[in-house]
Amino acid sequence: MAIMPHLFFGNIREINIFAEKIPRMAKITENTRNEVREIVFAFFAEECEADKSQINDNTNIIKDLDGDSLMFLELIEIFKKKYNLDIELKTIGKYAVKHPVETIGQLIEMQLLIIEHENRMLELDK
Amino acid sequence: MIPHLAEDNIALIFPAFISDYRDDPSLEFPAFRDVFQALLIKAAGYVDKELLSFHPESNPMLQDELRNQYISYIYGCSCADILLKSGVKPGMIAGYSMGIYASLFTAGSISFETGLSFIQKAYAAIRKVLPHRQYGMCGVIGLSEKDIREVALHHSLNLMIVNRNSDYSFILAGESFHINVFLLKAREEGALHARSLGVTIPYHTNLLEEAAKDLSHAVFNADIQAPAIPIISVLNQDMIINGDRARNEVVNNIHTPFDWLVTQQQMFSSGIRTFTECGPSQALRKNSKFIPGAGKFVNWDTLVKRRVE
Repeated sequence: MAIMPHLFFGNIREINIFAEKIPRMAKITENTRNEVREIVFAFFAEECEADKSQINDNTNIIKDLDGDSLMFLELIEIFKKKYNLDIELKTIGKYAVKHPVETIGQLIEMQLLIIEHENRMLELDK
Repeated sequence: MIPHLAEDNIALIFPAFISDYRDDPSLEFPAFRDVFQALLIKAAGYVDKELLSFHPESNPMLQDELRNQYISYIYGCSCADILLKSGVKPGMIAGYSMGIYASLFTAGSISFETGLSFIQKAYAAIRKVLPHRQYGMCGVIGLSEKDIREVALHHSLNLMIVNRNSDYSFILAGESFHINVFLLKAREEGALHARSLGVTIPYHTNLLEEAAKDLSHAVFNADIQAPAIPIISVLNQDMIINGDRARNEVVNNIHTPFDWLVTQQQMFSSGIRTFTECGPSQALRKNSKFIPGAGKFVNWDTLVKRRVE
């Protein structure tokens, strides 16, 4: 994100704003990965009234589970709250245009990228 | 005016159209099939005999704009009938868009036939004003209202936001060409979901002012009583407390944008804690998850089951 010129007029608050621009990248540990998997599996099992044991990385969200975009949105909100993420929905939408999500495995990978990079995830394509 | 609420603080909400069918409620509630069939036969005799060929799987009539509305109306009235007979005492009712007709019938404000004739006459009036089907509506999820306005402005698209479902879910209407361009651009701009609603009428826009005037002749001559169950207006969140107010709502509903987000929040503020969607889809239930302080949703058949048990 470009830093606006009006932030460079030097007082404490502006310095703080500038400081917040320093990237803070979350580290994805094995625990985080497992936690995300567990949440995604449990979420779709409940929302789609599916047997959790029948869901795997290759499960197609729309064709196999009858999932929809509102479920995707709900899941994003769950992760935003859980990990206190700074991410705009349209950032995820823009990323998804180039990296469409069809399966549970792809969705988990995207959620991990969101947690790791937040609003900077579009920079991954640069 | 805040209405007196029934014991359960339950609100019945009625969708406008049907997008899909979940499980057949007749399997658990044979009474539903009986009520639905009786109303279907009545409707077939009154407005369109082709309705008799309706079947949720083999002939769901989802693509037929008028018949879809008839079926949605019949379905909503049937659900409400079963709910009321089971002892549910709703504290409030709301009709999402063209769900107003089932709302009025359920509240005892109009007869079943009057509701059918409103649907029929509104459609005929609209087709008279807009005979060519070059209009449409679309839903977009994931963009804010500001983002949507910027996309429309940037690409010189003449569209109206006709409903806010939540802070990140909107319905737009306008010319098909503009809708199609918008859908493309909205996806590029980061919409998580953007799709046409498959209708050719720009409901809730000023393009239908003339049609509303035409409809008003029939509506103002119709027998409309004060609702026995309070109905909240989705247009301005006032309570519809008498026949004249109901008449205005039916006419204005055609050409005025509405705000579902605020409507549901207002219902909650008035004491409603449980919402039930009187229709075969779960679109309003799903949307409710994105409305802060919107209370809980319970399937209408679950409510009936609880009463029976």
